[in-house]
Parts: sequence; structure tokens; C-alpha cells
Amino acid sequence: MADSGAPKPSSSVKLVLLGEAAVGKSSLVLRFVNNDFQENKEPTIGAAFLTQKCNLPTRTIKFEIWDTAGQERFASLAPMYYRNAQAALVVYDLTKPTSLIKAKHWVAELQRQASPGIVIALVGNKLDLTNDSAGGDGEGAGGGDGEDARKVTTEEAKSYAEEEGLLFFETSAKTGYNVTEVFTAIANAIPETSLKTARGPGASSAAARTEEQRVNLNGPRDPNAKEGCAC
Amino acid sequence: MESLADTLWDVVICGTGLQQSLLALALSRSDKKVLHIDPNDFYGDAEAAFSLQEVESWVEKVQTGKEGLFRAASVEKLEGDTGLSFPRAYSLALAPQLIHARSTLLSQLVSSRAYRQVEFLAVGSFSIFKPSSDPSQSPTLVRIPSTREDVFSTTAISAKAKRGLMKFLKFVLDYESTPQAEAWQPHTDAPLTEFLLKEFKMDKELQTYIVTLTLSLDGGINTRDGLAVIHRHLSSMGLYGPGFAALYPKWGGLSEIAQVSCRAGAVGGAVYMLGTGVKAMNDQEDPIVLELTSGDTIKTRKVVRANESATDESGINRLVAVVSSPLKSLFQSTVEGAPTPAVAVVAFPAGSLSTAAGEASQSPVYLSVHSSDTGECPANQSVLYFTTISKPASQDLLQEALDSFLAAVAGDTVPQCLYQLQYKQLRSSAQSQASGSIFDFAPPRPALAFDDSTLQSVHDAWKMVLGDDAIEEEYLTFADREGAMDDDEVYD
Ligand SMILES: Cc1cc2nc3c(=O)[nH]c(=O)nc-3n(C[C@H](O)[C@H](O)[C@H](O)COP(=O)(O)OP(=O)(O)OC[C@H]3O[C@@H](n4cnc5c(N)ncnc54)[C@H](O)[C@@H]3O)c2cc1C
Ligand SMILES: Nc1nc2c(ncn2[C@@H]2O[C@H](COP(=O)(O)OP(=O)(O)OP(=O)(O)O)[C@@H](O)[C@H]2O)c(=O)[nH]1
Ligand SMILES: [Mg+2]
Repeated sequence: MADSGAPKPSSSVKLVLLGEAAVGKSSLVLRFVNNDFQENKEPTIGAAFLTQKCNLPTRTIKFEIWDTAGQERFASLAPMYYRNAQAALVVYDLTKPTSLIKAKHWVAELQRQASPGIVIALVGNKLDLTNDSAGGDGEGAGGGDGEDARKVTTEEAKSYAEEEGLLFFETSAKTGYNVTEVFTAIANAIPETSLKTARGPGASSAAARTEEQRVNLNGPRDPNAKEGCAC
Repeated sequence: MESLADTLWDVVICGTGLQQSLLALALSRSDKKVLHIDPNDFYGDAEAAFSLQEVESWVEKVQTGKEGLFRAASVEKLEGDTGLSFPRAYSLALAPQLIHARSTLLSQLVSSRAYRQVEFLAVGSFSIFKPSSDPSQSPTLVRIPSTREDVFSTTAISAKAKRGLMKFLKFVLDYESTPQAEAWQPHTDAPLTEFLLKEFKMDKELQTYIVTLTLSLDGGINTRDGLAVIHRHLSSMGLYGPGFAALYPKWGGLSEIAQVSCRAGAVGGAVYMLGTGVKAMNDQEDPIVLELTSGDTIKTRKVVRANESATDESGINRLVAVVSSPLKSLFQSTVEGAPTPAVAVVAFPAGSLSTAAGEASQSPVYLSVHSSDTGECPANQSVLYFTTISKPASQDLLQEALDSFLAAVAGDTVPQCLYQLQYKQLRSSAQSQASGSIFDFAPPRPALAFDDSTLQSVHDAWKMVLGDDAIEEEYLTFADREGAMDDDEVYD
């Protein structure tokens, strides 16, 4: 599994994306996983599942990403996704104040229902549509000069995030600004103890213990098993 | 987005129990329009797993008679600050079934790629509870040797018994070939114990070891079924790694498989609604018209539901207890390279327990001990699931089993029971069946190990829903979805 010389411990982290429809959840994932962006991305139906690895200096984190549908009408899926999730990315659209209200609902819901140690990041997306130089430079086509579409101030969202103990970022899935930083920050914020470990050498002792337990259904079957499989 | 009423659904699946959820998984790559609803506000039906909060609202529902096949539910907590963690630190399973390595369920989870979302843990030792003859001594647990290596090394049985056991294990591994079959077929419907006595001269104790491996709730399993189950056990040994024959899905057993299957259904585009049931159905029309409890009236070509009617009062009693000890001694791996087990099984043979009133147990009591590695309780605690066939004294006997078990595993201190849930789950003799465009799943059987025959009805339901579009080779056989692969791309 490890492709570099020195094998690092590798852990998987279940991450769920939540937020109102069209705030850019899938676009953030697409940027993170494929470094790509689509101008007219179709709404997610049901949910999507993707994986991506993130290399930290001391370990590799494999994100198992559940991208939910903001349009989901019956809110019946969400609990399945955030159950046992170690991290959540709650996304709003910087140009749409109602999406921050929805995001706050989600944060409250996660604090009520999700795993206690869950790491939550609040992410204001579509920074390229604002006048903020960091995100808007170069490709800020939609925003453009002088025309600032920002409707949620950094201060407002940031102070809310601080109160609730959330990681906070403003991103642009379109330009890629800050996207990898969000995932890296989450990877760093996951407490070592809550890491379940995927197979791989060099795991730390706490993690190695978990590794000992996981049964790999796809692994080499023991040829000496008492009977050859008949099927 | 189209509204519910404007869509002509290909199938409405009611209930999110294991069978319905596996059906959703099976349909997840078809282009059928699937609406999956459940009157409960949780996933999993009779296979759900609950936080302590959810346990309490479930118990209330059972008490008002609104929970299908469940009866007589109650919760008991130690008063005061007991070391019980907060409610969401627990996930108590209504269906803590073991899954044998050779179960078709596992191969279907692999071929459908759903296994990638499930973490499987090893089921470790099977032990027998032995009451002490001297009341001043503690009862003990004796591990059942179930592989040849085990039999060689055990000190629990005599050399003569070892030879008998060895001979039997060898027999079972090949029990379907001619010479063996000729030996057991005359006994096919007789109790397995009788066969063991007659053909292998096994004493009561060895018979008990063998019957325990069958996990037969009434202890009276017949020779044919008994041999089949033991064969499954032995041939499962080592299949996915050394030292274990069965697996357990982390976070609540079959509940997790149901949820993973529903997720796959959702990824495939099915629409999910919890807290919504069917209020009325008109199946004289084509398509069928359903009135939902949400107030929506919808049209669908097919309906798949669960039959939840009890046919009689027989069933099981279960006691689920959270205890204040990690019970480490039960979770040692005995074979080199084996994963640390997270589940251990203990059998209390018939007659090994008695109520305060002096009534002895007539059927075995089984106990599945789950370590915190199952995600069902916090570290340094364990969850105990006791099961026995329903009899008038069952509740008392389960309490007795709990106390005796805690005495048997006591070190310097006896572990404390912090929380307990009791209930009765009725059995139903109803069969799964299709009639016209409606399919009814039989209720799940409250067994100790997952029974593959459940999978047949999922397959039947799938065929009914797809009709001529059903391609047998593609049943639950899917490629990984794009992006979901376990690839080696590393993002720096
Ligand atoms: C368990 C849970 C799951 C959720 N899942 C989603 C989701 O998948 N997508 C999403 O956008 N928001 C979801 N939400 C957030 C929820 O939609 C907001 O809390 C709510 O829409 C905010 O509306 P309100 O409080 O102003 O008024 P409300 O009266 O709560 O609702 C206003 C409108 O939103 C609809 N609505 C209410 N609750 C939900 C809901 N849970 N899901 C969808 N529509 C709803 C109502 O039918 C109504 O038309 C979820 C909330 C919970 C608790
Ligand atoms: N300008 C700009 N547009 C974006 C950005 N991120 C997403 N979009 C656009 O916003 C629209 C919605 O993006 P999605 O990624 O589909 O949003 P989503 O949150 O996944 O939506 P649902 O799946 O419906 O919940 C698409 O047209 C994207 O191209 C961004 O950072 N900047
Ligand atoms: Mg999306």
C-alpha cells in the first residue's frame, strides 16, 4: 500500500459533507479528489461515496467521503452518513445567507446526534465570487471587479465557528483556493486515538491494535482452510 | 425535483430491516425508481441498533404494542453515578448475530462491493459455563476445542475423549461423502445427541460441547441440521484468517449491514423516507395506489413489505447488559497471527442454571460477549447479550445467567451490571411470499447465527421487482463505483 520508501501508518477517516443544495459540496470533493471543477455540476441524488488519501508528515489518512444531497427532501439519509463519522464538513455559500442558517442547523444536529469526538469544519465556499483577493484573483470570473457578491462576512462566520469549536475556512472549489487546506486541517485535527487503522506496516501501537482486529474479506484466504470453496 | 405523487415508482419498499435493505442494495444498479420508507424513525427494524436514548423510546413503543414481534420490554439502570457513559456511547444491537465465514451473505457483500463500508471483527472462543459443585467455589468457563490443534492442546478433556472428538471432527469435515452419509442418514431426524452417543460413544459432556457449537436454541437439534451447522463452523475456520470461524460487523451487527445496504440504495438514487408508513393500499388498481402516513398518495408498480404478524407466542427472551469490565480474558487470540476477537460465545447448557425458586433451566442459555472494539460500548466496558427460548421462567433464568457469568469472570472484584434491557421476540412461522405485485418478507428469525436461507427471499423479491429485466448473473454483482476504489493514489 505505501508507495514511498518509509512506510507510514495509514488510517481511514469517515467524513460526511452536509449543507444546503448547490453550495458546492460535490465541487469541493471533486476539487480535492480529482483537482477538477465543473461549471454546471448537476445536483447530487441520494449520496455519493469517494475516497482520497492525504499524506501527512507522520501518517497517511484515507478519507472515506460521503457527499450527501442538499436537496434530499426527507432528511432520512443524513443520520446514516454522520453515524460513526469522525469528521464533517458543513458547507455554506458565501453569497447566500440562508445557507449559513442551514449550516448552523447542521452543526447543531451533529452536536446532538453524531459521534461525540467528531471534528467539524465550517466551510464558506465560492470565495471567487467575492472581492476577497485571495480567492478572487485570476479566475474570479463570476465575481469580477468591484462587484462583490459576498453576503456573509468572514467575521460573522468565524466568530460563530469559534464559539462552537469548529475549524473554519473560506474556500473556492472553482479556483481551488484553500480546498486542500480544509482536508489537511481535518486530518490533523483527528485525535490519534480515534483512528482506526487500515492495513499497512509501521502503524503506531494504539493503531496497530485496531489493525489487528479488522478482518479483511478481500485478503488472501487461507489455502489451508478446512475445505476448498465449492463455489 | 419531481414530487412523490408525480413519480410512477417501480417499487416501494416498506421497512428497512435486513431483507428489505439487501433488496435496496440489489436494486441499486438497476434504473428502477425505488422509494424506500420506514414507519420508524430509525433504520433497521428488528435488526436495529440503539443508543441508550433510543432504547428507551423503543421500549415505550414495545410496551404500547407497536413494535411488531417484540414484547415485554423493560430497562433497568443502576442508580446514581455508575460509570455508565453518555447514551450515544452505546449501540445495543437487536440482532447481534454471528456470521459464519462461509455465509453467502459475506460473499454477496463482497461481490456487491458493499463490504468496503463494513468493518468486520473476529468472533473468538466458544466456552461452556460450568457451575461449581461446591457452593464456596466460583463457577468456571471452559473453552470448547473446535479445531484439531485445539483438541490436541486442551487439558479440559481426557485422552479417550480427545480421540472421540478427533474422530468426530474428521467425520464432519467430510460428512456428505458416501461412507459418512451412510453412517448418519439413519439418524437424520433423531436428536444429534443421540447420534453422538450411538456412533461416537460420546459422554454427556462431549455431547454438550458439540451441541453448543450448533448454537441450537432448544438444544434438540436433529442430526441432519446439526451436522450441517457444525460442518459450516469447521469449514469456516481459517477462511478469512487464522483462528476464527465467524465474523461480526462493527457498530451493531446486522444493523450495520442494513444501513450500508440502504446507503448503497441511496447512492443508486433511491429516495428514503423515515417516519413514514403505508396507511392504505389499493392493489386492485394497476399501478398500485398507496396512501402514506405522511399524507402523500403515490403510485407504484410493485410493493415489498414485511409480514410482522406473530403466529403464536413462541420465541426468545433476551437480556442485554452493559457491564463495567473489559473482560479481557475472554478476548485473547489463541492462534498466532489471529486478529484480536471482539466477540466471545458462552453457552449455559440445560440444567446448569436454576432460578431462586429452584427451577432448573430446561434449555441452554447462550451469551454473546462483545468487547468495546465492537463500538457498542465505551472502552473498559462490555456488552452481554443473553438469549434463551421463551419459557415462563426465562426472565429469571437470564438474570441468573448474568449473575453466574459475572461470578465466573470475577477477579478481585465482580464486574457490575450498569444497565440492562430485557425483551421477548416472537417467532413467526410465516413464509416469505409473492402474490401478484406484492411481496411479503417473513419476519427475521431470532437465531444466534445468521441464517443464509433469509437470502433466498431477498433474491425472490428482486426477481419479482425486476421481472424480465432480472439478469441472474448480475444479482448483487457490481463493479466498484468510480472514485470509491481502494486505489493507491496518494494526495500530498
Ligand atoms: C435529521 C436531519 C436531516 C436533515 N437533512 C437535511 C437534508 O438532507 N437536506 C437539507 O437541505 N436539510 C436537511 N436538514 C435540515 C433541515 O432541512 C433544516 O433544519 C430545515 O429545513 C430548516 O427549516 P426551518 O427550520 O426554517 O423550517 P421547517 O419548518 O423545519 O422547514 C421548512 C421547510 O423545509 C422542509 N424541511 C423541514 N425539515 C426538513 C428536512 N429535514 N429535510 C428536508 N426538508 C425539510 C419542510 O418540509 C418545509 O417545507 C436536516 C435536518 C435534520 C434534523
Ligand atoms: N463560482 C463558484 N461556483 C461554484 C463553486 N463551487 C461550486 N460551484 C457551482 O455551484 C453549483 C453547485 O455545486 P455542487 O458542487 O453541485 O453543489 P452541492 O452542494 O454538491 O449541491 P447538491 O448536490 O445539490 O447538494 C455548480 O454549478 C458549481 O459549479 C465555487 O467555489 N465557486
Ligand atoms: Mg452535490
